[in-house]
Amino acid sequence: MFRKGQTATAFLFLAPFLITILVFFFYAFARAIYYSFTDFNLFNDARVIGIKPYLDVLGDSLFQRALANTLVFSILVTVLQTVGSLLMAVALNNKIKGQSFFRSAWYMPSITSSVVITLIFLWLFQRRGVVNYLITQWLTYLPLILTFLGVMIAVQVAQVLFERSRKLPAKWFDPALAAMSALIALAVTLGLNVLGVVGARDVQPYDFQYFSDSWLSIGGVRVLSMPLLVVVIMNTFTTIPTLMLFFLAGLQNIPAALYEAADIDGATPAQKLLRVTVPMLRPVTFYVVTISLIGTMQMFDQVAVIGSAAPQETLITLAYYVYTNTFKSGAAPVNMAAAAAIILALIILLMVFLQRRFFVAPEAQ
Amino acid sequence: MKHALLVSLAVLASSAAAQSTIKINGYAGQDNTIYPEMINRYVRPQLRGVTVTYQALQGDYNQGLTTLLASGSAGDLFYLPGETLDTYIATGKVLPLTGQVSTAPFVRSLTNAFTRDGKVYAIPKDFNTLTLVYNKDLFDEAKVAYPNNNDTWSSLTTKLTNLKKALGSDYYGICLAPDYARMGAFAIGAGWKQFGANGKTNLLDPAFQAAFNWYTGLTKDKVGIQPSEISQDWSGGCLATGKVAVAIEGNWITGFLKDNAPNLKYGTALMPKADRTGKRGNFIYTVGWAVNANSKNRANALKVLNILTGPQVQQYVLDQGIAIPSRTALANNPFFKKTTPEAQNAAAVFAGASDGNVAPYTFGPKGPDWAKPINAALAAALSGQQSAANALKKAQQDMATLQSR
Repeated sequence: MFRKGQTATAFLFLAPFLITILVFFFYAFARAIYYSFTDFNLFNDARVIGIKPYLDVLGDSLFQRALANTLVFSILVTVLQTVGSLLMAVALNNKIKGQSFFRSAWYMPSITSSVVITLIFLWLFQRRGVVNYLITQWLTYLPLILTFLGVMIAVQVAQVLFERSRKLPAKWFDPALAAMSALIALAVTLGLNVLGVVGARDVQPYDFQYFSDSWLSIGGVRVLSMPLLVVVIMNTFTTIPTLMLFFLAGLQNIPAALYEAADIDGATPAQKLLRVTVPMLRPVTFYVVTISLIGTMQMFDQVAVIGSAAPQETLITLAYYVYTNTFKSGAAPVNMAAAAAIILALIILLMVFLQRRFFVAPEAQ
Repeated sequence: MKHALLVSLAVLASSAAAQSTIKINGYAGQDNTIYPEMINRYVRPQLRGVTVTYQALQGDYNQGLTTLLASGSAGDLFYLPGETLDTYIATGKVLPLTGQVSTAPFVRSLTNAFTRDGKVYAIPKDFNTLTLVYNKDLFDEAKVAYPNNNDTWSSLTTKLTNLKKALGSDYYGICLAPDYARMGAFAIGAGWKQFGANGKTNLLDPAFQAAFNWYTGLTKDKVGIQPSEISQDWSGGCLATGKVAVAIEGNWITGFLKDNAPNLKYGTALMPKADRTGKRGNFIYTVGWAVNANSKNRANALKVLNILTGPQVQQYVLDQGIAIPSRTALANNPFFKKTTPEAQNAAAVFAGASDGNVAPYTFGPKGPDWAKPINAALAAALSGQQSAANALKKAQQDMATLQSR
């Protein structure tokens, strides 16, 4: 098949890549496996001690927490970002004015450094941060807001019933009527406020600590910590744009004829999404879910930036566990870090394998 | 021939230069400007032909030093923080200095902090202890007596509670960080020992529990608050806002207050005494100079160490207000007699090193992980998420797991 010399040329061109892989992946991986069976602490001559490091790791409550955190985080974020990016791609695939502006605007979170975004989120969710401030404002003005909404709904209902009594086809959400209702509601609310009937309340500043040891529990089992929930929101926010691009590319390949046929059959937009778009995107979905799972299982940077701002247990992930056990002062349990890294690798392999085995469409294989 | 001669001369010259270069690893920040200057001023004139360079490690110093030691590229001389001493001794890269350097001129409790199994591993550079630093104006306004050297935990609590009552909801008695580095000193005062005879830590010891309950109990009615509750990251920051009456800090706070709250009138008292033992507790925070066991320039490294811990340099450190030096001879220095708030604080810090139950601030062989269960329990109890008893029970479990590995 190859002419003489061709194989050598091919290897020559591949060499930079192959050497990098050999040194930084295969060699490093082999060393990690070796260290995970030794008593290595960065400074001693490694001595094989069998599976003790694995037993130490599995018995470490911090590792168990890291494993639980990682799995919860991974599943939650993968679901959220797959659904979110699909919906976003479908929305952006419509021919709307300023489409390119929205495409670039929505892609922005993805190109911003995750460290910067994490710092912004830390600031948003501080005890005296923007989120708590907005909640305080909401609680302060709640009487006014409720008055406005109540009056608006009442006026809208009255208008629709009045139109219908005149045998005119008025919908409940008719925009023209709604605009009128809003104006009336605004006037009424302002009037009541001036008369002193309703007004802003004096409330205590909302004082929730997002980066504290608070948990969402199911049946007494701690499932998701508040700091991790913040990271979930942040991670979903920053990764949706990238995954959206894949879906957008996939959407371009769906024949328009399918949608036309669905239109002729009288399908609603929701039916078109579920019966045409989602099945046709299965290969892309497989790809998106796979890289999302791997990415979330290895999540590290955001946890590292938040660092000691939140209690360690609430945020620790497997990747961070490996890091903290390697970079310590002086002699460090590198053997445990290596064992944890191998366990992490095995879990990722298993997840991808299961996904290929059971959830993948034939066309993706 | 001529060419070869030149080459060999160059090689000889470079190897000679390499032999006479001493690299120092130390902290970044102000040390990065102070030490190069001190090297120029004191080391260079005394050690001709030896080049001394100061390489500051940015970020986490311990992580940085560990990486350099493991890769064999650490300096000949380096800072050795007292709290992580044990983890570095375990690396075998720290040269024991017993018999190489005289430890006699240094404060005994400081050299003890660097001694393990009879061997001294570092010479103390300087040190700090904890003091009560208080805002005089707030106490005056509340008509409450200042904290003083005879205060006990309960008398201090009364003062702080009265102050909070008098000043109202915008003011607080004391800032309490969820940190062993502050709370632990009270446990030591109550008679708690960090490591038992078996090397294990007992957080359910009555002395520790008493200190923990008192410390976290101060948050009742918001007399004590965590720095994060008023958007600060340490209690020095709390004091600078003018809304908090007391901070538990060392001499490092004086420079900070000078820059950030120049008009704040503050005083210093010694740590309060534990009610049950009648003794105050304190930590000694110290950093030492250690020599790299793999240094190819051991003799010169020791010479540099001797100059940097010598009387001249220590006097300079004290005069410049950089730190409290570690030589016994400086105890009667006129600086400590001055009436400025900075000098009074320095005198209290110096006195704190030998008054009551004093222990070095150290983590033991498990390194900084050792303090994590305590800090987590403090955070949970101070913020009211867990009762003090439950928080301590969980901390003891985690501590047992960590120490059994």
